[in-house]
Amino acid sequence: MDTQINRLPASTGLYVDHNESITFSFEGKNYTGLAGDTIASALAANNVWLLSRSFKYHRPRGVMSMAGLEADTLVQLDGEPNVAADRRKITPNLQVSGQNYNGSLEKDKNANMGAFSKFMPVGFYYKAFFRPKGIWQKFWEPVVRKRAGLGKIDFNSPHSYFDKCYKFCDVAVIGSGPAGLSAALIAAKAGTEVILIEQESLLGGSLNYSRFDAEGKVASATRNELLEAVVAQPNIEVLTNAVCNAWFADNWLPIIQGNRMYKLRAKEMVLASGKMEQPAIFHNNDLPGILLGSAAQRLIRLYAVRPGQRAVILTANDDGYATALDLLENGVEIAAIADLRPSPIATPIYEQINNNGVSIFAGHTVYAAAARSDKNHIQSVELREIIGQGQCKNESKHFDCDLLCVSIGFTPTYQLALQSGGKISYDDETARFSISQLPKSFHLAGAVNGFNKLSSLLDSGNQTGKAVCDNLGLDTKGITSQQTMSSTSNTYGNHPWPIFPHPKGKEFVDLDEDLQYADIVNACKDGYSEIELVKRYSTVGMGPSQGRHSALATARLVANETQRSVAEVGVTTARPPFRAEKLGVIAGRSFEPERLTAIHHRHKELGAQMITAGVWWRPGYYGQPKNRDQCIRDENLVIRNNVGLIDVSTLGGLEVRGPDAAEFLNRMYTFAYAKQKIGMSRYLLMTNPAGTIIDDGVACRFSDEHFYVTATTGGVDNVYRTMLWWNTQWRLDVDITNVTAAYAGINIAGPNSREVLHKVCNDIDLSPEGFPYLAVREGTVAHIPARLLRVGFVGELGYEIHVPASQGEALWDALLEVGKEHNIQPVGIEAQRLLRLEKGHIIVSQDTDAMTTPQEVRMTWAIAKKKPFFVGGRSLQLIDNHPSDRKLVGFIIEASQNESPKESNIILDGNNIVGHITSVAYSPSLNKIIGLAFAKADTEPGMQISIKLSSGMVIQAQVVEMPFYDPENKRQEM
Amino acid sequence: MPLGLLKYGFASKYPARRDIPAPKDLNKSYDVVIIGAGGHGLSTAYHLARYHGITNVAVLDKGYIGGGNTARNTAVVRSNYISPEAVAFYKASVELFKNLANELGYNQMYSQRGQLTLAHSDASVRTFTLRAEVNKHLGVRSEMVDRKQIREIVPCLNMGKNMRFPIQAGLWHRDGGTARHDSIAWGYAMRAAQMGVEIHQRTEVTGVNINAGKVTAIETNRGTIQCNHAIQAVAGMSSVVAKMAGIQLPIRSYPLQAMVTQPVKPFLDPLVSSAGLHAYVSQTARGEIVIGGGSDPYELYSTRSTLDLKESLIAHTLELFPFFAELKLLRQWAGITDMTPDYSPIMGESPVKNYWLDAGWGTWGFKATPISGKCMAETIAQEKTAAMIQPFHLDRFKTFKLSNEAGATAASH
Amino acid sequence: MKILNCPLNGPRNISEFICFGEVTDMPNPNELSDEQWADYMWMSNNTAGVVREWWCHAATSYWFIVERNTITDEILKTYPANEIFKERVEF
Repeated sequence: MDTQINRLPASTGLYVDHNESITFSFEGKNYTGLAGDTIASALAANNVWLLSRSFKYHRPRGVMSMAGLEADTLVQLDGEPNVAADRRKITPNLQVSGQNYNGSLEKDKNANMGAFSKFMPVGFYYKAFFRPKGIWQKFWEPVVRKRAGLGKIDFNSPHSYFDKCYKFCDVAVIGSGPAGLSAALIAAKAGTEVILIEQESLLGGSLNYSRFDAEGKVASATRNELLEAVVAQPNIEVLTNAVCNAWFADNWLPIIQGNRMYKLRAKEMVLASGKMEQPAIFHNNDLPGILLGSAAQRLIRLYAVRPGQRAVILTANDDGYATALDLLENGVEIAAIADLRPSPIATPIYEQINNNGVSIFAGHTVYAAAARSDKNHIQSVELREIIGQGQCKNESKHFDCDLLCVSIGFTPTYQLALQSGGKISYDDETARFSISQLPKSFHLAGAVNGFNKLSSLLDSGNQTGKAVCDNLGLDTKGITSQQTMSSTSNTYGNHPWPIFPHPKGKEFVDLDEDLQYADIVNACKDGYSEIELVKRYSTVGMGPSQGRHSALATARLVANETQRSVAEVGVTTARPPFRAEKLGVIAGRSFEPERLTAIHHRHKELGAQMITAGVWWRPGYYGQPKNRDQCIRDENLVIRNNVGLIDVSTLGGLEVRGPDAAEFLNRMYTFAYAKQKIGMSRYLLMTNPAGTIIDDGVACRFSDEHFYVTATTGGVDNVYRTMLWWNTQWRLDVDITNVTAAYAGINIAGPNSREVLHKVCNDIDLSPEGFPYLAVREGTVAHIPARLLRVGFVGELGYEIHVPASQGEALWDALLEVGKEHNIQPVGIEAQRLLRLEKGHIIVSQDTDAMTTPQEVRMTWAIAKKKPFFVGGRSLQLIDNHPSDRKLVGFIIEASQNESPKESNIILDGNNIVGHITSVAYSPSLNKIIGLAFAKADTEPGMQISIKLSSGMVIQAQVVEMPFYDPENKRQEM
Repeated sequence: MPLGLLKYGFASKYPARRDIPAPKDLNKSYDVVIIGAGGHGLSTAYHLARYHGITNVAVLDKGYIGGGNTARNTAVVRSNYISPEAVAFYKASVELFKNLANELGYNQMYSQRGQLTLAHSDASVRTFTLRAEVNKHLGVRSEMVDRKQIREIVPCLNMGKNMRFPIQAGLWHRDGGTARHDSIAWGYAMRAAQMGVEIHQRTEVTGVNINAGKVTAIETNRGTIQCNHAIQAVAGMSSVVAKMAGIQLPIRSYPLQAMVTQPVKPFLDPLVSSAGLHAYVSQTARGEIVIGGGSDPYELYSTRSTLDLKESLIAHTLELFPFFAELKLLRQWAGITDMTPDYSPIMGESPVKNYWLDAGWGTWGFKATPISGKCMAETIAQEKTAAMIQPFHLDRFKTFKLSNEAGATAASH
Repeated sequence: MKILNCPLNGPRNISEFICFGEVTDMPNPNELSDEQWADYMWMSNNTAGVVREWWCHAATSYWFIVERNTITDEILKTYPANEIFKERVEF
């Protein structure tokens, strides 16, 4: 403990446990702190104030707010950059270092960058670095990129566990200061479910660190009373160390607590987020040792750290005097108080200081601060008398100090309110921002609404609690609340112009971005006078603190420079999040859906290489990847010459039933279905209203009023939804059900398929006459109730057998078993794609794109022109009047050793691109390369097309009639 | 230290440059009124003044210069489109970007660090291959790269086979890069103003006057101004403004959201995007990681942020870069995009004579800023839609001759 | 995230729904010229203000009507589609 020279006795320090020491390291040196210390408070206890180097000038920086609001406290942990040192608690052996320095933190080799600040005026990177042409990318950008950034990311950082949790409540109260606590109590007493969200580890907010009276007693007394009441209220759920990090529509609140994000839906929202103390602007206002008054109070009361030995106070309100009292009581000498006000108000707190004999300089400011010899800490300040807005007399008084506390004004912690649509305005009289035009279910309580005195904070909370209950229709008469001593409203003391330019500059408006007084003023002079332009041109407010400490000063400066009111200038848009949030927390756990067919495990056992098809897994081919091409060829030949099994379970299935079933299909698809025979199937081609092909399949008619409709694997969900949409308008008497998941499907195909099937199917006449091509039947296969479809996608005799999904594996096993003597083989999707290509069948979305019409793929045969209506029909008529300049053709190339064409190789006409290859493969059945390609619309069989290969070589291919294989379609009709 | 900055260092008083002129009264009439002082409007104004000698021009904006999508895009410049007409157009834009800083005397920090688009499915591999083949044929530097090459281009990328949709291949577009988005508008504004163009911020257009089928005047909140020509360059609000001229457009407005992290030391030079994961990522010269994704799911004119988009976008981004879990998100924002049915702009003549359209900029407007201004200026000067933008003519919808771009745009803005 | 009150399923997160665009009265396609049909096909009101739209609850594939404001992102009203589409449509 002896090393912690700034540690105060155990009578103070709400957050720390004086009995538990923790050792950690900073910049390679070990330090001891207490359990409950943040990195910054533990270092402060050890009199270490320098935490990092600034973004541009590498200035020494330390803690300013002790509230995690500024960039300067961002430090590097092992594997985690940009950690707020004033929020992260120390843990045993934690290794911490500073950020953005070259050499050592104490002696940064780039520390002299600020000397060149005049050569880096606002927007300097727009004004230079581009002559001669190309020099930016070649030379300057790499220089800039080398210097940019703060912390270092670790590619190998261990992946922590992050998760999410949903919560619902009547009332969410953000902030547990006096206003938040009293609002929560009223709402809870009225019977609502309340969730109270506090970013610190203890409830209490400003009651925990602020001083509201000369005696210094009322805060803790009020706190104890309110907390007792909260504990007694079972319908208040408390979340501490939890940050409500944004407001989203309908009070959808992300509450981040450690590695968890709660997504909270609240009926009513109370924002009691308090206020943010603002820095003053003077020469060297960024030195370590310059703290906001509230930061000094936080160090003392929360962490038992004495913030310095000898202090100067710069103030313009009672809070500065309250801080002075706190300092005096904890052994800090007060060298002087500079009060910006010409005549301070003689409040009891002021009187007490005055009676203590502290030198008070009314109408004075700190005009400049000076650093000690190592430049890393404040050593003295220079006071001057104010003679006008931002102007001082030339005479100065110097005071040595190692601490300067600044209390000159506040802004409301307005971020969530503005995200909800609230508007910010500025009152010139009180020199403060206020918020209005909030959604009905969004309420402000306490300091965020401008209140300052404890009594008015409590009143504000009570009133807000009642307003919430009113919105929820609850009675609050008879609910008792914390007695207040006064009901007069008041607001915090903001000085309108705590801004003092200096001939040597370094009066920082935005510490994150190293922006000085002149940078803001000069941005306006350069013509960037709208606040958003000032921001974008100067980068003010773009750093890690997002303008929390610069927005007010910038608005004042721009207003002054452009002769407008601060209200007219305004602030830049408040955007989520409130605090920087870990991407891991936002992402949470990864949930990626996968769909497996009923036969999935059999494919794996058979050595299938599984491939994705949307969310489905399907067998690509069966065998080793090194034998891929051979496997596909073998599987192709199994179907062509023998018999194979293909799992087609992923194909969409829809039941369309009802008196209007045929009429409905007539409207949905291009073909005609009214006269389709029962027991037969018919091709389906679906176009969208613009006439673009979006899906295909077959319609199986099992009765007058019942069609079983197939759809593509990727298309079925959309097809189903689209069907329902149309029928919501048409109101046909038809019922549509998506039964994709209810069925497993196996295509048994090949010249021997009938023979194999016959062994397990006795109740259907399988003869060519009894069950001809394109017919559909119902019966049993291997005792499993089944629908059988004789379809010809692969161009051989074959049957698609659709059975309840639960029976899919049994059917697969049965067919493999009885097919053994024919040496039946499983066949994957890759071979199926090849088989269909040999037959010239298109695959929707591979051989069609977002504009392909039936005309372009020569499928006008599938358009029933006499129907009064079908979706896309009118557009197809129009397109007939404006024919496309491309069409899909089949081509062949004799197989050779040279470079083969690939899918997506382009088709040229002269030097013009007229199309591309959509499908291409070597056909083992034909011993040729065959393919489909978009070519000029006048291309006919017998002509040549020019293919530009990936190497750049152009080859010719012969356009042929399709199908490539079995042109007379005899095999599939066997 | 570049010479250009010396004068600032040695001046006793800041030598202000006054890039953007101070507000002044509106004239009674102008040769050309440009509605919208974003990149496109200002680029058009610049090209009119610089190359066609037309300087009696007013550029009007209801807000501030470049405050719409110029300020909200993710600064990607690329030309790896899929249709020949689009590739030619964006290639010409890239050529203009290369010389832009020197032409304007204003640094746009344009740099071609390359763009890698990842394919996680067979369908993406096919589409990307087509883009690569079309690009190569038209002189754009694009090529397909395999997993090994991807690892060399971006060593820190997650190439794990345990991803739900492992990376199969990539489209490596060497001409892809970024520029500082705001500064495009500012540079054009500065030069256009120097040549006499007037720029009026906080000047909202409230009506378009038409007489005998020709535009005659523009009404604003500051009074009515006569004009010989008017052009609307108000991506995000195109339908609303066009309606004032009685024109209906095939545009739907969707928010597009993006986000940025706190700055970390640069480690990622190229732009990385993934069609399957709807995410794209780049690191700025400040060290921030910029992350963007797909459009919002329903039409809206509000630039509010949402949590659900952020959650899915970041989850997908972490699949590509798992170590980003420790990075911290600083800010999310949104712009309003004009989505067209064919993912291509609508440029040139409108049904109203001398009222010109520069609309339908979806997620591809920023990268077209220089070439759009050039083509629109040519169009106005010649009173005829420029040849290069003829494929983007509004009339294409009448004959269903849409541009076939749908495959090239998904999530690589 | 917004809440959308589904006439079938009650108030649910809006991410459970799909928006399908404005409700338009489809003209008789056979009575329109090519140009009129092309306009109907491609042009969009893209209203900045109150729109009447088709929405679908994805999990239940239930289609209904939503009235909302595209400027403020407010949902004003939701109701079943049969309040508009009352009769069988013939061609």
